[in-house]
Amino acid sequence: MLNTWLLRIAEWIGATDFSVGLHESYYMYAWIESIHVITLMISLGMLIIIDLRMLGLWLTSVPASKIAERLDRPMLIGFSIMVVTGVLLYLGIPIRTTQSLWFRIKVILLVVAFINAWLFRRHMQQSAGSWDVAAVPPRRTRIAAALSLTLWAAVVMCGRFIAYDWFDCGQDNSAFIDWAAGCVAG
Amino acid sequence: MNLLPAFEWLEASPIGVFVKDKAATFAIIEAVHLIALALLGAAVLSADLRLLNVVMRDVPSNSVTDQAHRWFKLALLVLLVTGFFMLAGVATKCYHNPFYWAKMITLGIGIVFVFAIRAPLLRKPHAELRPLTLRLMALASMTIWFIVASSGRWIGFSG
Repeated sequence: MLNTWLLRIAEWIGATDFSVGLHESYYMYAWIESIHVITLMISLGMLIIIDLRMLGLWLTSVPASKIAERLDRPMLIGFSIMVVTGVLLYLGIPIRTTQSLWFRIKVILLVVAFINAWLFRRHMQQSAGSWDVAAVPPRRTRIAAALSLTLWAAVVMCGRFIAYDWFDCGQDNSAFIDWAAGCVAG
Repeated sequence: MNLLPAFEWLEASPIGVFVKDKAATFAIIEAVHLIALALLGAAVLSADLRLLNVVMRDVPSNSVTDQAHRWFKLALLVLLVTGFFMLAGVATKCYHNPFYWAKMITLGIGIVFVFAIRAPLLRKPHAELRPLTLRLMALASMTIWFIVASSGRWIGFSG
């Protein structure tokens, strides 16, 4: 049911002039994809520094909250570009992406990563005073940072895998894969 | 000097065969390459944006660039190793691809720039260096790595 709705929406998007134009414009699509990939260096770059500081591995002489605060803005600018270019990439190829197993895993991982980041931010605001200047933060903080790095590495991996057609609908997939990828008759 | 035989040899070598044998092998190496690109971004941008006084203005710039350089070396190593494996899988294709050569030339310039010019200079107390030198170096560094990364992405589009 849900998959049928998602497919209908994707089909509607795919039929718009905007989506067709995006898909057929070789350079536009390639540039959006390139910007999406290169902005990794800003969004995940800043995130990696914050997480490595929380693991006690980067700029340990500087208070952890200071690093997190100073790099918050460039990181969010990076993620804003990621979201805009990511949405455009989806709009350019809506039907196949909707039924992509890797895209679906990526979306779930993104949600989990955001929840982790939100909980982490709250935890830091409440307790940072006690460990802010410690070179190596407490165990709970380190676990959250390691989880964040792992989740984002998996997001990158799934994102890259969307381009491959291993589990595309219509291939000889198992029933489970077809279910997970949301393959329904167009 | 004709390098084509070397590229053909690489692609036919056990490494080339290993990478090409399954589509997933190449894809996984590619993903690791991208994760290392993010780490390279962390190292390059934290140092360069600090030198340009855009971020972490209240953190001593010497400690920012020192730390960044350590992680830069790790990121570069992972990128070179994964990049070599990717090349082995599609070596002859790369040989005929202008973006591959654009990337390799810029990468060579980047490596020389970092280890011969940038790192030795930034080891000195930054207060003793001219602000303009630091700023130009940051801009040069960001430009070089942007070209390396974007021409790298373009190898796949034009292949």
